[in-house]
Amino acid sequence: MPGMLVLALLLLAPLLGQNLKDFEKKVTEFGLANGLHFIVIERHEAPVISFNTHVKVGSLFDPGGQTGLAHMFEHMAFKGTATIGSKNWTEEKKALDAVEAVFQRLEAERRKGLRADSKEIEKLQGLLKAAIEKAELYVDTNAYPRIIESNGGVGMNAGTGLEATNYYYNFPSNRLELWFLLESERFLHPVFREFYKERDVVREERRMRVESNPQGKLGEAILTTAFMAHPYRQVPIGWASDIENLRLSEAERFYKTYYVPGNIVIGIAGDVDPAEAKRLAEKYFSRLPGAPLPPGITTIEPKQEGPRRAEIESPAQPMMFIGYKRPDHHHADDPVFDVITTVLASGRTGVLYKELVRDRKLALAAISGPNFPGSQYPNLFIFLLVPNAGKTMEENEKAFQEVLEKFKNTKIDPVTLARVKTKARAGLIRRLDSNAGLATLLPLYHVAYGEWKKMFTALDDLDKVTADDVQRVAKEYFIDNGKTVAVTFQPKKASGGAK
Amino acid sequence: MRGLWIAVGVVGGLLAQAPAKRAAAPPRPAGAQSYKDLKFPALRQVEIPKVDTHTLPNGMRLYLLENHELPTVNGFALVRTGNLFDPPDKVGLAQITGTVMRTGGTTQETGDALDEKLENIAASVESSIGESSGRVSFSALKENADEVLAVFKDILTSPEFRADKLELAKTQSRSSISRRNDDPHGIAAREFDSIVYGRDNSYGWRMDYQHVNRIAREDLIAFYKRYFFPSNLMLAVYGDFSGAEMKAKLEKLFAGWTATQPAVPPFPKISAKPAAGVFLAEKADVNQTFFEIGHLGGLLNDKDFAALEVMGDILGGGFRSRLFERVRTKLGYAYSISADWGADYEHPGLFQVSGSTKSLSTSETFQVIEEEIARLRDSEVTGEELKDAKDTVLNGFVFNFDTRAKTLNRLLNYEYFGYPKDFIFQYQKAVAAVTKADILRVARERLKPKELTFVAVGKPQDFGKPLDTLGRPLVKIDLTIPEAKVEAAKADAASLAKGKALLQRVQQAVGGAERLAGVKNVMQVVEIQLAPEAGGLKVKQTNRWMAPNLFRQEMELPFGKVASFSDGATGWMKTPQGEGPLPGQALKQAQGELFRAFPRLLLSDRDPDRTVNLAGEGVVEISGKDGNVARLTVDSAGLPAKVTYLGPQGEVEEAWSDFQEEGGLKLPRKTTVSQGGRKFADATVLEVKLNTAFTPEEMRKRP
Repeated sequence: MPGMLVLALLLLAPLLGQNLKDFEKKVTEFGLANGLHFIVIERHEAPVISFNTHVKVGSLFDPGGQTGLAHMFEHMAFKGTATIGSKNWTEEKKALDAVEAVFQRLEAERRKGLRADSKEIEKLQGLLKAAIEKAELYVDTNAYPRIIESNGGVGMNAGTGLEATNYYYNFPSNRLELWFLLESERFLHPVFREFYKERDVVREERRMRVESNPQGKLGEAILTTAFMAHPYRQVPIGWASDIENLRLSEAERFYKTYYVPGNIVIGIAGDVDPAEAKRLAEKYFSRLPGAPLPPGITTIEPKQEGPRRAEIESPAQPMMFIGYKRPDHHHADDPVFDVITTVLASGRTGVLYKELVRDRKLALAAISGPNFPGSQYPNLFIFLLVPNAGKTMEENEKAFQEVLEKFKNTKIDPVTLARVKTKARAGLIRRLDSNAGLATLLPLYHVAYGEWKKMFTALDDLDKVTADDVQRVAKEYFIDNGKTVAVTFQPKKASGGAK
Repeated sequence: MRGLWIAVGVVGGLLAQAPAKRAAAPPRPAGAQSYKDLKFPALRQVEIPKVDTHTLPNGMRLYLLENHELPTVNGFALVRTGNLFDPPDKVGLAQITGTVMRTGGTTQETGDALDEKLENIAASVESSIGESSGRVSFSALKENADEVLAVFKDILTSPEFRADKLELAKTQSRSSISRRNDDPHGIAAREFDSIVYGRDNSYGWRMDYQHVNRIAREDLIAFYKRYFFPSNLMLAVYGDFSGAEMKAKLEKLFAGWTATQPAVPPFPKISAKPAAGVFLAEKADVNQTFFEIGHLGGLLNDKDFAALEVMGDILGGGFRSRLFERVRTKLGYAYSISADWGADYEHPGLFQVSGSTKSLSTSETFQVIEEEIARLRDSEVTGEELKDAKDTVLNGFVFNFDTRAKTLNRLLNYEYFGYPKDFIFQYQKAVAAVTKADILRVARERLKPKELTFVAVGKPQDFGKPLDTLGRPLVKIDLTIPEAKVEAAKADAASLAKGKALLQRVQQAVGGAERLAGVKNVMQVVEIQLAPEAGGLKVKQTNRWMAPNLFRQEMELPFGKVASFSDGATGWMKTPQGEGPLPGQALKQAQGELFRAFPRLLLSDRDPDRTVNLAGEGVVEISGKDGNVARLTVDSAGLPAKVTYLGPQGEVEEAWSDFQEEGGLKLPRKTTVSQGGRKFADATVLEVKLNTAFTPEEMRKRP
């Protein structure tokens, strides 16, 4: 039943660590002169390697009126280069330029507004269609991903979030150099071919993830309600009308601004010799010209004054997000929130599970996550409530508030606190046996905290958390003036619980 | 700090992360570096870990694999069972047994106690039963391995199936059923299964409320006993231990487990007939059509499996597949589009094209898919397509061995389903040998364009071209979730006569049939104390009933007054939030109340719309033509001791006591209400009046 938001919530297992010294021996870090940073993790269990390119750009940086642009570029990064994906680059380049030229004329005419000449627009639309079709003649379709797949690459995908975009797949270890070549090429000179068809694909993606999915709508609702100013309100997929008007020239500008070497960290984990990785990194990635780092986010969300609520009509069975404002991940209280989410919603000992799911049978699921939708800026501690059949959203919300009030007013016992810390330690150990996981996590920590070792040392911060801290933080942040609720409700005419 | 959890990817979850395609030759500017110039060294030989296998004296087979990279010990028992063995009237039994086996605890400890014990040491023991196997697994840090193994053994050998956790699992199952029409992709996948395999067998049927309601603790225990015995399972343990020590430990641990049962029969055979046509489930709140298109697939050990797999791959297995290229890249009709030749170990899988497209382009997308399926049968695939598909499998073959756990899992699966140990290498060889002619041959033999089942979930009024333009029969799918019904006990002339006699004895015991018939209306004031887990509230109710069919209730709740009325066909409800017609579920409840109104219920033998039957020793079953059923249990004095019926959340029981006389009739002053085996409320009658002067208009009047 749950879509990707719930799944992601469940996957928010506690981060943390142990035995840093042993692990450190397997890790090699190096930077290139242009600012690109590499983290290599040796695991020689099997002749395979996982790669993860972490770019510090996401939908937070989408320009006004062009939401979805970071995600759109991510799609274009699979379209190839001048040398990969073209049947005749000279001719294709001409044809692509012609598409943009017609587009400029069409835009210019449309900008005349009421005085635009509809016949001229119609004519230009015809020309545009013809120009696009011509450009497509030169495309060797999907050549770039095809090379990866036919060379035994598995798990190929990319993801655009609010704060970062990741590109990842796994190769047999004898294809190490092929990865260096392909990955450097896609960021050195990507070609934005089939841009306008891909825009339709992305539009379909929005229909699938959001417009045909109540939970997707609910996710958008809580973010746009909780964040009035901060770009955390910009979900990666973007607004429908923005997607439909995205332009190739803007995507190119976006790429040039944000895909600079100093904004990229790469994780490589598996059967790899770090010296060889370094040699290949110099050979292929030094070609990326150094450039100034892009500007950061300066908007600060104004203080929330009063609770907020968004309601969405949906024939689906109801569900609810409840978010409370919390500070970013550099704040001293960050580990306390990690403790709180484990106490409230981890496993079958989670307080919400015991109260709402197991004993009172009000909810099918009641879970929490410490950061939503990101963690670099002040964000939300979030809950998801899914009522049982025959139980109302109101009953659930009321019971949830009772549990939360009780939690705020009762000090957690030493056994519970110890359990959280044990789970955290074990959680880290269990994360160390996956190449793909390590290639993802080390760059993530490097970017978030300036060093990957934080993945381990965060455990020490967590160990220092006391029961008093937990109560203090719960009382300070779980308040009406930080609260946002997004809930679906069924249309009035709906009859009966069965349908 | 946890980031990245709203992310949108370039390939959707619906798309199998499988294989795709070729390697072409674009002309390129001189001097540029080309991937084609790269030479790859030979891949280092994969080390296939050796799994130690043993059979214990009790018949249990052990598979041990050491792995000293991390200080953990993990394992699982693979049990020959599955929901394919669900009884037809209790679909879901296997799944619920799998859940409650763990949550219901062991004879020694409750599930709740185990939750605390295991989570305190960051360990887990879990159980589940899927389609064609059951699994009990554990995971522990090395230092706690013995303690966790002991719990694992207790769950496997002496689960207690405590009633409270069965009730929890049933509640959760009902909630899942109530939510099953919320996700359009889920609907398409489910209905496709049901239509292609047929709804009359365990491959295609699904769990409904009535199945859940019937499942009792005895069923779980019987199901468990039938399938969980030593010679019916394989136990795999892997991690940081010494093989010899672990073997000795397990041998000792399971020495006392000697349960035996006859060998488990093979899984049922599939006898589905083709279900050609377009099956449409209408859903108003979507703007895409979610679809599944295909028919029965085959077996993994089919001689043509490799060719079929490569064929499926060329059709829709990755970025360079025909469907991805045409439907997504060229037409921009879909984000998610994929195809797979479905093969399974022991029953035919499903050949399936899956995806979603905006409502407008539904029929066009279906046409393209039809064309692409037909094209596989018309002409050979290109050499480039074949080479790419084969390279994808062969170059990526090493990922079948990238973790030790994969080797262990594969070994157990092959043994479980009776496949040869080297099946994966046979497959590798077979893929390497596939030719273009093979693919054309298997496409012609195995793809059946005329027999395709199209399942579409969407909003047909927004389709650009109606579905009937496809020229295939169009069938509507009814998504209504069937409400639970109480089935009547078997009735014959003798049992009907006995039922009537018993009911008449009750009439006699409470004061006589004529006195009951003389009751024209009843007014009673009741105080209700809800059980703590039901919220613990105290509620005061005034209830009026008027023959034959009017019911009015006024209630005082902490947040205000609630009044409701029904005449059996319609009704209204007024709450502090407003008023309106009685919503469906509440109307159903009111109809049930009217059906069970004390004087009418006891005089059911006089009602031509009701059947009175003996359902068991001292139990009268009363069923109405409107679908209501109530069972009345009669005590030795002939007084009605309790009535049971089906509520929206399972069986409800009202137990009556403290009978006192009013107007010559013995009426119960106390009622204890239980729901699903747990106490819900105590009701005490404070006041009761018969045949007072009130009118139908007063009954109907809104406060």
